[in-house]
Amino acid sequence: MKGAPKNEELEQLLAAEFGVTEFPADAPPLVDRTRHLELATKLKALGYRLYVTVVATHYLPQAASKAGPEQPEHFEVATALRKPTQGGALAAWRCKLAVGEGIPSLVGLFAGADWQEREQFDLVGVRFDDHPDLRRLMMPDDWEGHPLRKDYAIDTACTPWR
Amino acid sequence: MTVELSVDPPPEKPAKKPAAKAGPAWLVPGAVAPIQRADPYLDIETYDPEADLMVLNLGPQHPSTHGVFRVKLYLDGEIIVKAVPFAGYLHRGVEKLCEKLAFTQITPIVDKNDYVSPMMNEQAINLAFEALLGAEVPRRARYLRTLVAELQRIGSHLLWLGTFALDLGGALGGGSTVFLHCFRERELILDLFEALTGCRFHYNTHTVGGNRHDIPEGWASLVKQALTVIESRLPEYEELMTHNGIFVKRTRGVGVVDGELCLELGITGPMARAAGVDYDMRRDAPYHAYDEVEVRVQTETAGDCQARTLVRIREISESIRIVRALIDGVPEGPICGHKPIKIVLQERSAGGQAYAALESPRGELGTWVIGGGVNKGTSPYRLKIRPPSLHAAACLPYVLPGHSVSDAIVILGSVDPIMGEVDR
Repeated sequence: MKGAPKNEELEQLLAAEFGVTEFPADAPPLVDRTRHLELATKLKALGYRLYVTVVATHYLPQAASKAGPEQPEHFEVATALRKPTQGGALAAWRCKLAVGEGIPSLVGLFAGADWQEREQFDLVGVRFDDHPDLRRLMMPDDWEGHPLRKDYAIDTACTPWR
Repeated sequence: MTVELSVDPPPEKPAKKPAAKAGPAWLVPGAVAPIQRADPYLDIETYDPEADLMVLNLGPQHPSTHGVFRVKLYLDGEIIVKAVPFAGYLHRGVEKLCEKLAFTQITPIVDKNDYVSPMMNEQAINLAFEALLGAEVPRRARYLRTLVAELQRIGSHLLWLGTFALDLGGALGGGSTVFLHCFRERELILDLFEALTGCRFHYNTHTVGGNRHDIPEGWASLVKQALTVIESRLPEYEELMTHNGIFVKRTRGVGVVDGELCLELGITGPMARAAGVDYDMRRDAPYHAYDEVEVRVQTETAGDCQARTLVRIREISESIRIVRALIDGVPEGPICGHKPIKIVLQERSAGGQAYAALESPRGELGTWVIGGGVNKGTSPYRLKIRPPSLHAAACLPYVLPGHSVSDAIVILGSVDPIMGEVDR
């Protein structure tokens, strides 16, 4: 991933215990979604105690082209943790979700994941399993749709504020 | 780093300090012990059927919420039992809007996020774009960015100090003395930025690959004059705030957040440093020109509202020192490594992801950007701003219970949430 130095420690951990073989230079490595919580637990024990952020992204279905093979509609959830010491090593990884699939919540490990995951649930519509309080954070509770999805046009009509 | 162990280890010296005092490496010695966290998911129905609970909505229009923020307080007498914050009143959909704009058009939009320190927003977003697009920033621009970042930090902390005094209200004779003094000094910083960019706020002076406005003739002496004035008045704030008995009574031991909770919540910046977290991105993960200047990280150990005040006041002096160290050594050269922007759509990215962060006056302000958006990649596909204020405000459900309503105002003020950044 660009902008942060290469994290050897994370790559060794992923290669040894999580069966990850691909480490793209311009994106965080892909990890199986069922092992998301396990990886976060291991990283926290290694000293990555600062919760940085979680980013969910929506991808529309794509036909096969020069850019790559055919892709069904899916989501990607990227998570980042940091070591609060010299160097501030950043550990970031992605999980790929099909439509309707959820991802384990990190609230039990990092209290800060509560609001961050609520925001991503609200705006992108990704479900975080076992989240104790999965409500909308930014939009009103009766809002329809998830604004940061790619099929949600920027000028989608909204019901008037009540 | 590997450490070579000698074959023959020296005999072990008896430990000078008891083992309990040696904390983790990221905490300074003597930092506050972990607090008893309140349960944010407390079921109020099962709390105490006998108690006569009252529900009080603090905000969204209450002046001490610094914008539009609502905290639903469940009160037992005057003591808070449960606090449920509500964000989103200022949600403008900045991230969605940025997906339609070109990289160079986004800077003035994010100016309005953290409206107390707009320079930091511009720098944070452009750091991420430069990482994504592979743009080089010339050395002069990096120096200039460091200078305006530190000046902005002074201005932001001054505004916080003034409004915090207003929050304390009656304790400081209405608080308006400190408020007006702080705004008088902040005006000097705004004048410097006006001389540099032509705008008093929302500058739009950073761009992908550098800056847009070069240092004008004689700006360095203006900066030095302003810093001398601000430095001469800092002891006044110390006396007005920290040497004031009522201020100390209202802030000492109030709203304690320990270092471990800070890290778990993602709180960085002065709030974490007041709890003893010895971490500052300017020193530990340098960006701009911070690797060429010494940054002395200011920490406190108590983790309460008084410690946060002390850390921020000392950070003002520290910023003054950094600006003085850099202002005479600004290297000559171009201020933008890129071609001058003639068409806004010239920056393109095929894909890839980047995350870059900097130390804003409130903590780690980061941007996660995914390239390859609309119009052949001239826009980001997805942009996520990591706002330090949102993480800081998330501490309220853990900290507020057990305090009185008047303390809640003090705690909310000391957390320093900027609602434009919380809601985006």
